[in-house]
Formats: sequence, C-alpha cells, structure tokens
Amino acid sequence: MNKIIVAIVLSAISAGSAFAASVKNGDDSAQTIVVTEGSSKTQLQVGAGETVDFCSSGCFVTFPNGDREALKGNETVEIKGGKVSIK
Amino acid sequence: MISRPLRQFLLTIVAVLLLAAFPYGASAQAPAAAPEAVSSIVAEQRPAIDALKKQIADFDQQKGKADTDAALAGLRLNLEATGKKLLDIGVSFRPRITEINSRLEQLGPPPAQGQPPEAQIVTDERTRLTTEKAEINAVLGDTEDQLIQVNKMIDAVGEARRELFTHTLSQRVNINYSLGSEIVEAYGQELQTMNHLVASWWRFVITFKWQSMLAAAFFAAIAALVLLIGGQRTLGHLYQRDARIEAPSYLSRLAVAFWSTLMRSLTVVVFLATTYLFLGYFNVMRPDIASLIYMLFSVIGIVYFVHALAQAVICPGAPNWRLVRVAPRPGRILMVLITATATITGLDYIADTINQIAASALSLTVAKSLFATVLVGLLIIAMALLKPLEDEETGKIKAWPRAIRIFLYTIGLVPMIAALFGYIGLARFVSQQIVINGAVLVTMYLGFLTARAVSDENALAGTKLGRAVQARFGMDDMTMDQLGLVASIVINVFVVILGIPIILLLWGFQWSEMSAWFLTIATGFQIGSFNISLVAIATGVLLFAVFYFFTRWFQGWLDTRVMARGKLDSGVRNSIRTAVGYLGLGIAGVIGISAAGINLSSLALVAGGLSLGIGFGMQAIVSNFVSGLILLAERPFKVGDWIETGGVGGIVKKISVRATEVETFQRQSLIIPNSSFINGSVGNWTHRNKLGRVDIPIGVSHKVDPRRVHAILVEIARSHPLVLKNPEPFVAFKAILDSTMDFEIRVHLADLSNSGTVQNEIRFAIIDRFAEEGIDIPHPQRDVNLHLEDADSIVDLLTKRVKAELAADAKKFKQ
Repeated sequence: MNKIIVAIVLSAISAGSAFAASVKNGDDSAQTIVVTEGSSKTQLQVGAGETVDFCSSGCFVTFPNGDREALKGNETVEIKGGKVSIK
Repeated sequence: MISRPLRQFLLTIVAVLLLAAFPYGASAQAPAAAPEAVSSIVAEQRPAIDALKKQIADFDQQKGKADTDAALAGLRLNLEATGKKLLDIGVSFRPRITEINSRLEQLGPPPAQGQPPEAQIVTDERTRLTTEKAEINAVLGDTEDQLIQVNKMIDAVGEARRELFTHTLSQRVNINYSLGSEIVEAYGQELQTMNHLVASWWRFVITFKWQSMLAAAFFAAIAALVLLIGGQRTLGHLYQRDARIEAPSYLSRLAVAFWSTLMRSLTVVVFLATTYLFLGYFNVMRPDIASLIYMLFSVIGIVYFVHALAQAVICPGAPNWRLVRVAPRPGRILMVLITATATITGLDYIADTINQIAASALSLTVAKSLFATVLVGLLIIAMALLKPLEDEETGKIKAWPRAIRIFLYTIGLVPMIAALFGYIGLARFVSQQIVINGAVLVTMYLGFLTARAVSDENALAGTKLGRAVQARFGMDDMTMDQLGLVASIVINVFVVILGIPIILLLWGFQWSEMSAWFLTIATGFQIGSFNISLVAIATGVLLFAVFYFFTRWFQGWLDTRVMARGKLDSGVRNSIRTAVGYLGLGIAGVIGISAAGINLSSLALVAGGLSLGIGFGMQAIVSNFVSGLILLAERPFKVGDWIETGGVGGIVKKISVRATEVETFQRQSLIIPNSSFINGSVGNWTHRNKLGRVDIPIGVSHKVDPRRVHAILVEIARSHPLVLKNPEPFVAFKAILDSTMDFEIRVHLADLSNSGTVQNEIRFAIIDRFAEEGIDIPHPQRDVNLHLEDADSIVDLLTKRVKAELAADAKKFKQ
C-alpha cells in the first residue's frame, strides 16, 4: 500500500514538471534567446531574474553567447554570468 | 600517419566550417594551425543527417504527387517522425558541447596584450576546442534549418489536406441524360472487366490451387466452429437469454448484450480473418483480387457486427432483455433498416474498390455514389417515419421525440438533396459520416446508460462481481452503493475519453493533432498571466488528498499508538490530535495549491489585500479561531469536563478550533463560540481533579437542642460511604432565624458527578433520623399585627351584624 502511494506521488510530481523546458536568467540584464519551434524562429526575452517556460515539444535554441543547443522539452536551462548550463 | 591528400582534404573542411561559423570574425581567430580531424561526434552524425536530408527531399517530391487524403496523412506522420529524429540528433551533441565548454572554462581566456604568453600546448588545445565547437554549431544550425523545413512541410501538408477536402466537397457534377448513357456504357465495361478478372482468377484457382482453396476454407471453418462451440460451452451462460426471467436487471441485460455481440461477431471475424490469412498463405490471391476480398471481408465483418449489436440492443425476440424501450414489431423493422444502411454503406466501399481495380470511368463512381447516398438517405427517413418507442406505463407505441425526428429527417434529406444537385462528394461524405458516427454515438449512448444503471441503488451489489467484492473486502451496502456511484462516474469519463477521440479521428483529425491538443490542455494554457493546467490541477488535488489521508492516518497512529501508550492526559492528547490535524490540513492545502501551479506569493498578495476586509467581515470567526488555538494550548478544560459558563453548565463533548460543543444535563448540545471562553470566565468543576464540595442546608425547630442536632448531622455525614474523610465533613450552624435554626452539611466528594445521589441519600437519612429522634422541622411562624386607622367603626359594624343575627336566631327559635 505504501509503495503504491509513493509511486503515485512520485509519478504525479514528475508528471507535473515534464512538459516544458524552462529558462532562468540569473544575470542582472535581460537576455534574448532565439527559439526555433515548429516552422518559425522566435526571439524570447528573459528579464533579469525571470524564469520562462518555453519549448513544449522539442526545439533548437541559440543562446546569447552564440551557442546552439537542441532541447527535448524537459530541460531546465540556467543562464548565469553569460554561461549556459542545462540540466 | 594520415596520408597527405586526406590531410589536405580535412584541413579544407575545417577551414570551410570555420568560415561558415564565423563569417566576420574568421580573421581575428588564431590561424588554425593544429591539424585537427573532424570532431568524432560530427563525423558520427553526419551520415544520419545527410540521410535525413535525402529523405526530406523525397518527402517534398511525394507531397507534390500526393492526391489522396490518406497519402497526405501518411506523409505527415513520416514528416513528424523525421522531425523527431532531427531533434534527437541535435540533442545527441549536448554531452560533447558541455564537455568542451567546461574544458574551455578550465583553460581560461587567452592572455590579453601585455600579459605573459601562455604555453603553446594550452593555446593549441583552446584552438582545437573552439574549432570543434564551431563545427558542432554549424552542424546544429544545419539540423535546425532542416527541422524548420520539415515543420514547414507539415504545415503545407495540412493546408493541402484542407484544400483537398474543400475541393471534394465543393466539386459539382452535372447530372443529365447524357450522363445516364455514359453510365450504362461504363457499367457494361466495368462488368466485363470484373467478369474477366474474376473468371480468370477463378480458372487459375480451379486448375492450380483448388486443394489450397479447400484447405483454407476448411481451416477457417474449423477455427470458427471451435470458437462458436467452445464459446457457447464456456461463456454460453453469459449470453443466453433466459426467457423465464421476468425482469432481468439492466446490468445483466447489458452483460448479455455485450457478450452476445462480442462472441457472435468474433466468430464471423475469426472465420473471415483465417480464410483471408490462409488464402494469402497458400498464394491463392492476386493483388487485385486480394484487395477486393479484403474489402469484401471487412464489409461483411462490420455489417455483421452492426447487425449483432442492433439485435442485442433492440432484441425484438425477447422484449424482457432489450436495452432500449423499443416495441418488438417496429424494433424488427428498425433492425432491418439499420442493417440495410450498414450494408449499403459497405457496398459503396466495395464498389469503390471495384472501380479502382477496373479503373472505371468517373461517371460510374458518380452514379454509384449518387445511388448509395440517396438510398442511405431514404433509409434514414424511413427510420424517422417509424413509431418504435414503447410508452413505459401504457405500453402503447409512439413516434420518436420531435427533436430526434427532425434530426433524422435532416440528416436523411441533406445527403439526398446534395447528391441530386450534383454535389456527390459532399453527399457521400455526409452519408458516410452519418453511418459511422451514428454507430459510435449509439455505442457511447449505451455506455452512458450503463453508467446510469451502475449508479442505481443496489445495482452493483446485485451483480456477481459486486457480491464477490463485497465478500472479499467485507463492505456494507452503503459502501457498495457509493462504490457504484464512483464506478458510474468512471464509466462516464471513460466513455467520453474514448468516444470523442474516435469521433474526431473519423472526422479526419490526426492522432498527433489530438495529442497536441490534449497536451496543451493538460500542460497548461495562459489566461492573462495565469497558467491553467489540468494535469497540474489534478496533481494538486491528488497530492492534497494523499497528504490529507496521510495526516488522518498519522493522527490516528499518534493518538492510539504513541500517546495512549505514553499515558498522556486525555486533554493533552486531544489538543495534540486536533493541532496535528489542522497542521496536516494546512500543509496538504499548501502542497496541493503549489502543485496546482498557483503561485503562493500571488496568493499572499490577494490575502494581503483581503486582510482588511477579512479583519472587518470575519472578525468574529477569526477571533473564535484564535481563541480555539489558545484553548488548545492553554487547556482550561478538556473533553469530559463539567464546566459552567454564561449561566449554562454541562459536559464538554468536543473542542474544535471555532467552537466547543457542550452537552447540558438535559442532553441539549450547546455550540459555544470559543471566544466566549477566552473573554468570559469559565467555571470548571473538574479542572485538576473531580473533587468537590456539596452543601446541604437544613433548618430545625427552636425547641431542639442545637448541639444534639449538630452531632446527628455530623454522624449522618460521616456515615455516608461516598463522603470523603479528608477533608472532613463539616456541619455549620449557620444562622438563628425567628422560626428555625439553620444548619448546613458540607461534605467533600471524590467525584462530583455523584453529587446528586449523595445529596439525595443524605437528605433521606436526615428525615429518617429526625423522625426517629422526634426533631421538628418547623413551618415558618409569623406574628401578625394589624394596624387599622378606623378600628371603632369596624367594631360597630361587626357588633350590629352580630346583634341582627342573634335577633334573627331568636325569632326562628320562637316560631
């Protein structure tokens, strides 16, 4: 019984967070990333300290430092000090 | 050693890639001196990307040629798969990029001017890494472009499908006499072609394959027989309609309908499928004949299924077992009409296949569709004209409800009129949609009926499954009833979740579209700055429920296992229990709210804004709430205490956070707001212990010796078994009044709840003893003094009256 409850809770928690990538800007200035989702490229402004959800079903992203990455849509991206880390 | 030409080639590639990646800054870069190979991951993924590129070009060509909806839909699926592959390739670069980035960070930036130069090996590595990163970036850019192209093609395919659909629906054929002669001619031709095709195939079968043909038929028949007989043996009791049962329950009728439809259809489907498989296995069929037979068998299977379903639902042979209230005679007609509609739609499909095989003229397709749609329309109108329903009370037959009748007329007439005006495509589309959607809707309706039947009182408990569950888990009828309610909700949701996508699929929507919608609904859509997500809300509710039940369980465990063992005072136990309960509820609420995606800080903002309003509007409630918390912490009384407050007394039954329930000795429950306990004074007879004093006053006559009375009273008090020896009973000589000497017996009891009994017994004892000893309990004595202002006149009046009476008496005496 306890196992079932644990399983339900875990799956519920994981289900709640598995549907969009999010980008967090830990810098003092706004950052612009270019997101290619579907058939168009869009610029996404992330204000200082903001966290924005984007890319629900996979996309390509170009970060302010010129780096390109492909995202599956469940990642957490953090921009800090001009550096990009993806978890 | 790398051979010279290869090295040159690689260097060129690197240079080209560098130029491509840094069109402006290439000259500023350090010259790519290090002879580096193409990054291994790029080399690994290159072929895959190229293959996908080729595939995309292929798809582009296919898109130009695709002229049917099915082809376009298939193309879309392929494109989606390609897009996913491209994304996967993109993702596969990530570990390497992370690696390069972290290494570059370790190396640090190149030394600025004026700083001491770094070791050559560091410069080389940095250059190499930067180059590789540039390569990967370039490849990713390429992949990205491909993905954009694929997604654009997906959009274009969607557009093309819409156009194709509109074109089919809006195309108009001129129906006139010349068409008639054309048709006759085309029909003759088609007949000839088909005749020829089938005859040649048949000749081939008879000459070369007759044994295989027979074997196929034999095996198929065996399989079907096994299923038929075996099914009847094993599951027969499930779907045989017992005519002896007067009024079988809805659920059992439904079970019979379900099993009979399933088993009968399954037998036919198995027969057809095995025949088809064996024919294929023995190589009896040619491709054209195979597609014809496939279509024929599918149509037979579906028509049979529709027929079996209609029979199970309407059940004209055994009215007890029908699922809908349709009278037997019109029911039989309705069943025939339904089967006929399915048959005609099926024949239309078969004719389509024949047209394709024989490559017949368009006019024939038009004519066939015209014929089929008009027939289907007529059949539906015939259904509308029928009077099938049976009145529940009188048993009279009556027509469809007005709305349904109008609806049936409309859907019957629309395809007919459209077809007669020449819009064959539209008519055919409408009539097919009607037939197929009708079947799905009827099935869904049966599902809803089931849900309703399950939710009926004692419906679930009456079934075998229900009885088994009841016996296994030891549930009472009430729980079973509630379980039935839950089951009905689940069935309803299930029917909707299953039915709506099927209908949407039939309307030409794609799975991927639907799953995308579902994802959007589930994962959230924005309303203003508020993100609403069904999954998150459901998660929130679920988490709340889980934590709430956990709290209840923990509460119970803490109370019965831990605190009861710890010999804790019941008041403390109650306080802790209540506090834990509210704390758990609060935590569950917070977890649920935050899991539902509602930002707690925005909630705090709302709470802040409302706090002024709350301060005024809910002053009393908040004050009671806080008082409740204080009561729990301070514990001036506990459950079971005898308290008195505001002129009422009673036993405390329950302390909640807002109010406390007190039961008076007349068994009236008083709900007293907690703030009145905090603001007013509360008397508690049983605060630390149940010890209490009882006073019994008594007055005796002045004629008795008070010392004797005192001694008797002390003796009575001492002799009572429930009276405590310490503190000693005390008899007070309270007062000397004009008619009595007042005494008071003051005795202490260990348990004040006995006070009534003790008082009674002591009083009885007093009366008994006083009677024995001859002690009077006097009535109050009064000396009355009259002060009259005109006393003489009253005396005169009285004297006169007495004299008169005496005189009268004397007269009587003389007579």
